Amino acid sequence: KRFYSLKVAPKVASSPTAAKVKLSPESQDLEITKLPNGLVIASLENFSPTSRIGVFIKTGSRYETTSNLGTAHLLRLASNLTTKGASSFRITRGIEAVGGSLSVHATREKMAYSVECLRDYVDTVMEYLLNVTTASEFRRWEVADLQPKLKVDKAIALQNPQVGVLENLHAAAYKNALANPLYCPDYRVGKITSEQLHHFVQNNFTSSRMALVGIGIDHSTLKQVAEQFLNIRSGVGAPGAKAVYRGGEIRKQTGDSLVHAAIVTEGAVTGSTEANAFSVLQYVLGAGPLVKRGTSVTSKLTQGVAKAVSQPFDVSAFNVNYSDSGLFGIYTISQAANAGEVIKAALNQIKAVAQGGVTDADVKTAKNQLKANYLMSVETSQGLLNEIGSESLVSGTHTSPSAAAQKIDSVATGDVVNAAKKFISGKKSMAATGDLGNTPFLDEL
Amino acid sequence: AGGGRMIDRLRKWYYNAAGFNKLGLMRDDTLHEDDDVKEALKRLPEHLYNARVFRIKRALDLSLKHQILPKDQWVKYEEDHPYLEPYIKEVIRERHEREAWNKK
Repeated sequence: KRFYSLKVAPKVASSPTAAKVKLSPESQDLEITKLPNGLVIASLENFSPTSRIGVFIKTGSRYETTSNLGTAHLLRLASNLTTKGASSFRITRGIEAVGGSLSVHATREKMAYSVECLRDYVDTVMEYLLNVTTASEFRRWEVADLQPKLKVDKAIALQNPQVGVLENLHAAAYKNALANPLYCPDYRVGKITSEQLHHFVQNNFTSSRMALVGIGIDHSTLKQVAEQFLNIRSGVGAPGAKAVYRGGEIRKQTGDSLVHAAIVTEGAVTGSTEANAFSVLQYVLGAGPLVKRGTSVTSKLTQGVAKAVSQPFDVSAFNVNYSDSGLFGIYTISQAANAGEVIKAALNQIKAVAQGGVTDADVKTAKNQLKANYLMSVETSQGLLNEIGSESLVSGTHTSPSAAAQKIDSVATGDVVNAAKKFISGKKSMAATGDLGNTPFLDEL
Repeated sequence: AGGGRMIDRLRKWYYNAAGFNKLGLMRDDTLHEDDDVKEALKRLPEHLYNARVFRIKRALDLSLKHQILPKDQWVKYEEDHPYLEPYIKEVIRERHEREAWNKK
């Protein structure tokens, strides 16, 4: 009889002192310094083979006035124009030659120029990055050649209907500053001059409004670079206007069979305790599907609206925070025929929460979702860079992920209910796009 | 110093002998329009470009009529400035840079 199966495999003696292979030294802590001229430098040495460096500036479309709308958009596209130290051709080729990349990301309140490359070539790309942010020449003919790109950029962005609705929402909700569109208005394409770009940079790219952040680079190098090269413009530059919330509505009638609508009130300021409450409320109500093609069981909004209509729809809570204001509300996508029902059902859900219809379990679930979302967003080096940069700009400090998670945990159910009450009682703003025959006006809600 | 002034006088004589100033043209108006010059022309500020176009048009008109300007309207050697030269220099520099990169 062959008892092969009974033949026990020879035991491999595993040595209890087997050498562990270390892939790379453990990441150091984040170091953050604030120079006397106001520039904040933050770096995280994680010994990764690539480095990512970003220059964050507290500027954006909110710092435009009606006479120079669209400047921030063109500036966003102008990152590869000739600078004092390198021609446009050289910037492109130089960065490509080392396998790096330069990108610009801008919101209404901040602009971030970031480069990433292999560690060995950090000096090269850093030189280009500093050139682009501090010494751009905005040559007249290059700026003129760039203007058609504004149209293309805007057209690509507006393919996504959400972008158009959110632009309208901000224009409806605010009187100034935050009402400025992120994308250049059509009448300004071709009219933005090199002087306006220069002016915008002179007034906004000042040391006290900038932060230099690096991941995968050591702090002393970054500090040296900052002291030598980013010390050009001091002062606070032109102060932005304080955003004034007005609460209006903008409706755009198109032939679309899907109606996109957003209804908000003034929300919380970045970093305030209220902001955390609103974020938790956002997840209590439902902030987007967590399981693809799932039924969003934990989303109060989705469940509430599903009872009211049978046709496909999408609804989620909308929450955004700025340095002196915020917006909180709902965003719905519905069939044109029952847009009204969807919106009313969604608003009723928030009313239910405001009247105390939320359990501690709901709040705990929401907190977990919020924490998970936040922590997952800082797992990539891009997300982490963005997070460090944004926080450096706002407060010059860095909150560790565990501290942030704690802050989220400290939100009480009562705070969530209060946030919902604030929404119900606040002055509303609305933006809607699509076939709006059945979409109610603000005063009908 | 003496040698320098000799060269200057020679230059001035040659400028007047060339004769395009009698048609009201400046030296940079007469440049042959190759690719570099064409690119530099695109970068000229508007007022300089309009002045150039006017001078060329006037010169074409005069040559059509087989005339020249009256002597007091001729372009003087001292007044002729190479307005296009900085732009041409920049264009050529950029072209050299491109060629150097492409050779690598």
